[in-house]
Amino acid sequence: MTDPVAILGVGQTRYRRRHSDKNTAELVREAAAAALADAGIGLDGIDLIVGGVAPDALAGLANIDLMSIARPGIPYMRINTGGATGSSALLAGMTWIAAGRGKAVLVVAVERMGHATTAQNIFNSIFDPIYEKDISMSTISMVALRATLMMQKYGFTSDHWAQLAARNAAVSALNDTIERPRVFTADQVRGSAILAWPIHALEACPTTEGACAVVLTHAALVGDRTPAWIHGTGAFSDTYAMGDRFHRPEGALDNLITLERAARKAYGQAGITDPLAALDMVEIQAPFASSEVMAYMALGLCTPEDNVAFTERAIAGTAGVAFQPSGGPQACNPVSATALIRITEAALQIRGRAGARQIDGIRRTLSTGQGGATQFSTAVILGAEKP
Amino acid sequence: MLRNRDREGERSVAGSGRQAHIHGAAITTSWRDASRSLTDLIFDGVSAALADAGTPIAAVDSVVLAAHDLIDGRSLSSMVTAPAAGAYLRDEIRLSEDGLAAASFGAARIEAGESAVTIVAAWGRASEGDPAAVSRAGFDPFLQQPFGLSDTEVSAFRLSRWMARHGDAAEARAEAARSRRARAAANPAALRADSGARHESFPLRPGEGPRRADVVAAMVIGAAPGAVRIAGVGHGTDATAVGDRDLLAMPALRTATGAALAAAGLTLGDIGLYEIDGMTLADEALALESLGLCPPGGGFRALTADHVNPSGGSEAGWCYPAMGLVRLIDCYTRLRAAAAPTAGTPRRALATGLGAGGAQTATAMILEAA
Repeated sequence: MTDPVAILGVGQTRYRRRHSDKNTAELVREAAAAALADAGIGLDGIDLIVGGVAPDALAGLANIDLMSIARPGIPYMRINTGGATGSSALLAGMTWIAAGRGKAVLVVAVERMGHATTAQNIFNSIFDPIYEKDISMSTISMVALRATLMMQKYGFTSDHWAQLAARNAAVSALNDTIERPRVFTADQVRGSAILAWPIHALEACPTTEGACAVVLTHAALVGDRTPAWIHGTGAFSDTYAMGDRFHRPEGALDNLITLERAARKAYGQAGITDPLAALDMVEIQAPFASSEVMAYMALGLCTPEDNVAFTERAIAGTAGVAFQPSGGPQACNPVSATALIRITEAALQIRGRAGARQIDGIRRTLSTGQGGATQFSTAVILGAEKP
Repeated sequence: MLRNRDREGERSVAGSGRQAHIHGAAITTSWRDASRSLTDLIFDGVSAALADAGTPIAAVDSVVLAAHDLIDGRSLSSMVTAPAAGAYLRDEIRLSEDGLAAASFGAARIEAGESAVTIVAAWGRASEGDPAAVSRAGFDPFLQQPFGLSDTEVSAFRLSRWMARHGDAAEARAEAARSRRARAAANPAALRADSGARHESFPLRPGEGPRRADVVAAMVIGAAPGAVRIAGVGHGTDATAVGDRDLLAMPALRTATGAALAAAGLTLGDIGLYEIDGMTLADEALALESLGLCPPGGGFRALTADHVNPSGGSEAGWCYPAMGLVRLIDCYTRLRAAAAPTAGTPRRALATGLGAGGAQTATAMILEAA
C-alpha cells in the first residue's frame, strides 16, 4: 500500500422497503451531506465522486447515478459490480488517492430496487439466456443450490440457517438505520414459507432501498479527527458458471476462492496471519444465512473440519469475533449499497459511533463484498491505528 | 470545514511519481456477425490487444472494463463478459462509463502501484437491441422521455443552437462529411459492412449521424516503459438536465481537456494529433470549437484538417461506450507508427471520450511518444 488512506466520514439514509416520499437525488443528498459533515469537508473540497449503482433495471431507469450522484464541475465515475458495487466503488476511490490524483473522494451508492415490480425477474436476467434463464434461476434458487451443497458436504442442517437468521435478526433491532427491523425466532424461520428449498422466506434478505456515502481522504487531511484507517484491501473476479467452479485445481464453488484470495491479500497488507485472533469484528456481504456460513472458511476463520462447530459458536456469540453487529445484509440489503454499508458499519464501530449497536473495544475489522454469483469478491480491513 | 484544498492534486497524473505506458491495443468492428457471440467478440478483441503488446495473459494482474448492462442486454452483464476480457482470478472492476474513463482509471491503478499490467476494454454491440431505446431510458421519465429524447436528439439540439448563430453552413458540413467518409474508408479498423439506416433527427442530415457498429476496443497498459506514455488525464462533469447546459460551450469537455493539458504541462499548441469523440459529425465539429481549436462557427471546416480525426471519427463505426477508448487507440497507433519521428510527425496527441446522457461526463487524455 502507498500513503495511508482514511475513512473520515460516513452517512446513511434509513433503509426501508421503498422510499416513496423521496426521489433518488434526495436520498443521495441525505447520505452524502451526512458523510461530508462527518468528515468536515465541503463538497467543493472533493476531488472525485464515485457512484455505485448496480443493475439499472432495478430502478427502471438507465444511469440514475447521472441524475442523482454526479455533480457539475467535479470529476465523476460510476462503478457496477453487482452486489460488490459499494465496496468496488470504495476501492476505486482509494486508487484515485493512491495515484496522487486527489486527496478527498466521496463515494456514494444508492439503491431503488423497491421500484422494481419483480426484482427476481430482473435477477433472473443475470443468468445465461439459453441454458439457465428459462429454468427460472434467480438469486434465491442460486443460494438454495449452494445451501444444499453445504448440507450434503459438511453436515449442516436447515436448523443452522434458521438459527443464524434469527441471531442476525435479533441484533438488527439495535440498528437505527433500519426503519422496520424484522425480529423473529428460529422456529418462526422454520415455519415461514419455502422460497426454494431449503431457503425459508425469513432467511432471505428483504427488498431494501437507501443510500450510503463515505468520504475517503489522504492521511494528510485527517488532522485531529478520528478516522477509520484502511489497513488492507483485496479484490478478485471469478468465472461465471457455477458448474464450472467444482472440478478445478484452484478450489471448488464452496471454497469461494475469489473471496479467499481477496481476504488473503488484504490480510497480507495488514500484517495479519491469524485472522480470528487479529479481527474484532466481521461484516460479511451475505444476504442469506447459508451464504454467511460459506464465507467463514474462505476468510480463514475456520477449517472445513471445524465448519459446523464454528458456525454453532458464531450463532451462540462465542466464536471469538463479533459477526454482523448491524444485522448484516439479512436485515437490510440495498443491493448497490450493501457492500459499502458493510465498510461503513465497520468504520462506525472503530470510531465508537455505532450507537446502540456499538461493541466495546473494536480495533480491527473485516468487511466483505460479493457480486454476481459470488464472482466478484472484495475484502477491506479497517483499523483504529494509523498504518 | 475544508474547501478547495489542493485542487492541483487531481490534475497531476504523475502525482504518485509513477507513469502508465501503453504496450499494445486493438480495435475490432463488425456488424451482426452471427458466428460470434458478444463474449466471442470481447475475447477476440482482448486477445488481439495482448498479441499486439506481446504480453502473455499470465503477466496481467488487473482488468478495467467499460460496459453497460442495458447495452449488453442482460443485468450485471460483466458476469459473462469479464471472464472473456481476461478477468478470471484477477482484480477486475467494471465502470459504467465511456471507455476513456476506464483507460483513465486503469492508468490510475498503474500510477498507484496497484498493478504492473492492466487490460482496459470497452465494447458495445449496436446490432443487438435498440441503442436509441437504451439511450432514451437514461433521460427523465416524466419531463424528457415523452418527447422521445435520446443522445441523438441532444446532438440535434446542439446543432440547432449552433445554426441559430452561424447559419446552415451546408457547404462546410457537406465537405466535412465527405472528408470523414474518405478517412473512414482508409482506416483499417473501420466498419466495412452496411449497418443500415442511421437515426438522425432534424437538423442532422443523412450521413451526419454515427455509423452504428459492433465495437470492441482493448488496450494493454503497464508500468514498464513503452513506445507511448499517458502524459495527462482530465475529467469533467456537466449538469444533468439538458436544458441546464450550455450545449455549445460543452464545459465538461473543456474542463477535462484543460485538466489533462495541465497535468501534462502542455498547451493545445503542443498537440500534433487530435482524436475527438462525438456521436455525430456536428458533435465532433462543435467540440473543436469548444476546445478553442478553431473560431466559433469554424468547427466543420476545422474537422477537415489532416491532424484532426484522421480515423474518420464516428463514420468509422460507433457504439457507446467503446468510443473514447477507440479514439485513444487511434492516437496510440499513429504515435507508435511515428516512433522514429521525422519533421512534422506528431509526438503528442489528445483523445477525448464522452459519457451517457448526452455527454454529461467527459474524459480527456494526452499521449506522448517516447
